[in-house]
Amino acid sequence: MEKYDVAIIGGGSAGLAALKQLSHLGKQAILLEAGSKIGSKNLSGGILYSKKPKKGQITNVEQLYENFLDDAPIERKITKYILHSTSQDKVYSMDLTAAHDYQANFGYSVLLSKLNSWFAKQAEKAADKLGGGIIPGVHVKSITWNEQNGTSIIQTDELDEFEVKAIIAADGVNSEVAEMVGARKKFTPEQLFQGVKVIVKLPEDIINKRFGVSSDEGAAHLFAGDVTLNHIGGGFLYTNNDTISVGAVYHFDSQISNPTTPYSLIDTLLKNPMVSEFIKDDVPIKPEIDKNLPQEEQLRIRFAVAKLIKNWYEIREASLSSSGRDSLINSGKYKTVEEIQKSLSTLQEQMTEKFSLTFGTDYLEDEYGAKLVPDGKRCQMKKPYFKNILFVGDAAGRGVFVGPRIEGINVGIDDGVRAANAVARALDNDNFSENSLGEYYSKSVDESPFTTDMKQIDKDYLKIFLDAAKDVPKDIIGSRYGPILKMMSSGTMRGIAVKFANILGYDKLLPMIESEDTYVKVPIKLAERLGETVLSSYSPSIPSIADRIANLNYNDDSLAHIKVVNPTSEYMKKMVTLCPTKCYSEEGGKVIIQHEGCIDCGTCSQETEWRHPRGEKGIHYKYG
Amino acid sequence: MVVILSEPLNIAVIIKLEPDFSEGNVSYNPNGTLNRAETKNTLGPHSAIAAHAAFFGRVMYDAKVSIGTMGPPIADLALKQAQQISDAGELHLYSDRLFAGADTLGTAEVLRVGIGKMQGKMDIVFSGHRASDGETGQTGPQTAWKLGFTFLGNVISYSVDLETRMIRAKRLISLQGSSNVIEEVEAPLPVFISIDPTYKSSYNTVSQRLAFQKYQKEATQRADNYKDYFKIFNAKELGVDETLVGLPGSPTIVYKVERVPKSTATRQSEVIDGSDPEQIRKVVAKMKEALAAMVIK
Repeated sequence: MEKYDVAIIGGGSAGLAALKQLSHLGKQAILLEAGSKIGSKNLSGGILYSKKPKKGQITNVEQLYENFLDDAPIERKITKYILHSTSQDKVYSMDLTAAHDYQANFGYSVLLSKLNSWFAKQAEKAADKLGGGIIPGVHVKSITWNEQNGTSIIQTDELDEFEVKAIIAADGVNSEVAEMVGARKKFTPEQLFQGVKVIVKLPEDIINKRFGVSSDEGAAHLFAGDVTLNHIGGGFLYTNNDTISVGAVYHFDSQISNPTTPYSLIDTLLKNPMVSEFIKDDVPIKPEIDKNLPQEEQLRIRFAVAKLIKNWYEIREASLSSSGRDSLINSGKYKTVEEIQKSLSTLQEQMTEKFSLTFGTDYLEDEYGAKLVPDGKRCQMKKPYFKNILFVGDAAGRGVFVGPRIEGINVGIDDGVRAANAVARALDNDNFSENSLGEYYSKSVDESPFTTDMKQIDKDYLKIFLDAAKDVPKDIIGSRYGPILKMMSSGTMRGIAVKFANILGYDKLLPMIESEDTYVKVPIKLAERLGETVLSSYSPSIPSIADRIANLNYNDDSLAHIKVVNPTSEYMKKMVTLCPTKCYSEEGGKVIIQHEGCIDCGTCSQETEWRHPRGEKGIHYKYG
Repeated sequence: MVVILSEPLNIAVIIKLEPDFSEGNVSYNPNGTLNRAETKNTLGPHSAIAAHAAFFGRVMYDAKVSIGTMGPPIADLALKQAQQISDAGELHLYSDRLFAGADTLGTAEVLRVGIGKMQGKMDIVFSGHRASDGETGQTGPQTAWKLGFTFLGNVISYSVDLETRMIRAKRLISLQGSSNVIEEVEAPLPVFISIDPTYKSSYNTVSQRLAFQKYQKEATQRADNYKDYFKIFNAKELGVDETLVGLPGSPTIVYKVERVPKSTATRQSEVIDGSDPEQIRKVVAKMKEALAAMVIK
């Protein structure tokens, strides 16, 4: 049997951080990723933060990857952070940039598939030299222990079994490692958010102009009010380089008690006039091909139109981006920007004249995805270890989600580094017992400022939030928050109130704050009373869920990775509505699954036998 | 890890630049024929599979891979794509106006001479199953014949014993009217392998996967600088016999091209009433009849 020092299971940001740090410390490690490529199964909102907490030490992304700010494929540095309360065509906006900047070095919008693939390159370079590395396309199916020396034997669907001394489990919110070894129970709906996201294409120059930013700056917009369809949660819109991430994130229990299809939540957001206007663009409209023409001619026209549209998008996208223009000119295809413009308009003429293509206003969606997000406040593992296995990031249920503070990737990266440090120490001492390795790591995680933020209210953060909301009329906030706000508005009282609240505990406080009042009723009132009217000039043609699934890239697994346990349970019946890719249907009172469209989000995992698909199988995100 | 015993393995791959038939890349003339000038080109899909098979040799046996193709100067694109897959250390393009109009035999002659110009004595030569633009699957076997190598067709997997210089290969044999048969054969090197479209390399241990990653990275680096590995040969440089290549070396005469006629439906359907046992019996009898016809006599 082959032997290695450390196995990291899962190639997301946290697992990759662990590999990078272990390699930095001169320790051999292999990372196993189920996707065919690193990043192919990763999805995030997403903004990646670098933080500077007042108390405690963390490892930020730019410390772990020294060339991060120069070389990483990050999108835009978020310089505007705005919360919108909506009610139909009324929008009331609140600038929360100060909250976004709170204790932050920066926050970049990112597309996780691309970014994790870059992280992998950096980590692999270092791991190679020590006889380790990254192995994609491998799905771990069981872990057992050698009774004599305590080492773990890892079995996968793809490879011969092998032995390791320690394991870092970074296999995400639906951690199979945690379940198979019994380290924790599956997260419950109360502990989770369900998030759905679409990527909208929009040229760089248009984003700059529309959002009032330069090419390296970006804006983040959050939405609450009627766009939530009475769910506890909200929408977001982040600018990337030449795409826009539009998503909706909801407390999963709010979805369970009032099931709404995830795509209708995102569709509602896309139809909000403010969002519609943010994402609109010129699009070519294909002509109807005359069915009376000979079949060969119909086919020729279809291919010709497809080719022209493809060319048009390529040239237009390049002509509306600074790097695109440069690369077109450097390639020698064009001499000047004017020449590019001219060729674009010639192409456009050809399209309209020869093939009667027209141009209209719409938006162009390029990827649909969904994932569960663990609410760190409610589900972080108290002891994030089991025997010689350490859990990091989503797998350990960690993330800081407090109102508009949304941080997951940075927490995972910091966890990964902590786990790597603990494992490196264990290798030096040759002691992988729970008392030594596990407890050392657990203590390190406890010392993380992120852990504190998952347990307590930060009164300084609260003040920034309250300052931003100072213009909100008190009567709108209503009887529930009125006294609290009044108390919080004075410095001394705020200190006392927060102390009191923290004694009361997050558990008791959260249902009060994270309520329908906060996310739905108050924002609607705000928008109705104080909002400005925003009108949209078109109505976006939103793809059906079938079209969205058809546009995704899958490698179908002939074996189903999900088994329905009780096809008549109430929970499973709700899956017919709640599965983001409509894998479930009900026939004769029984729920059945067709797993082919599954995007491995785990929404149904609570009451199913749930596994990730085998190596290389399943969803393959382009953007993530 | 990979242990190199005795002599290293030399692998050649012959590939082809073909039209990219995907939507948005292909163009057709008004008469329905392919518009070659407007259609993008790419490495043929079967050539890509052959390159994958060569890469398997690179990962498992640290083999040295060379790639050769006959085609116009733009065929360097296919060589680059094949290098990205196979981590080849040598790329050959055989390009000359004299080669134009060659059929499979004329092409095989150029490839035979080209393979002779590659560094080292070849142990395995791979070709794809066929081309996607109207080829007949003969170039591979004819090149094998010209080289005098043992020919193994429809290979779906292989392993090499470097010490005894023997290859073991599995071949997928399709028999009409029956399920496929996998035949395992052993042959002394050198051999010529035409790779089956269903071929897929499998790497079953952590160390093999790590080696896979290492060579794949090397392949990307090499393909980024593919010109460093690239050599173009004309007829003179190759030293081919001009009567055996191009039009003079091609006995095939295409005198007419016809469209494949649309077949008329020959199926006859009959509606069976499932509630009538007598009718169901008739269905079973029909099925037995059909199954009996499938047995090889």
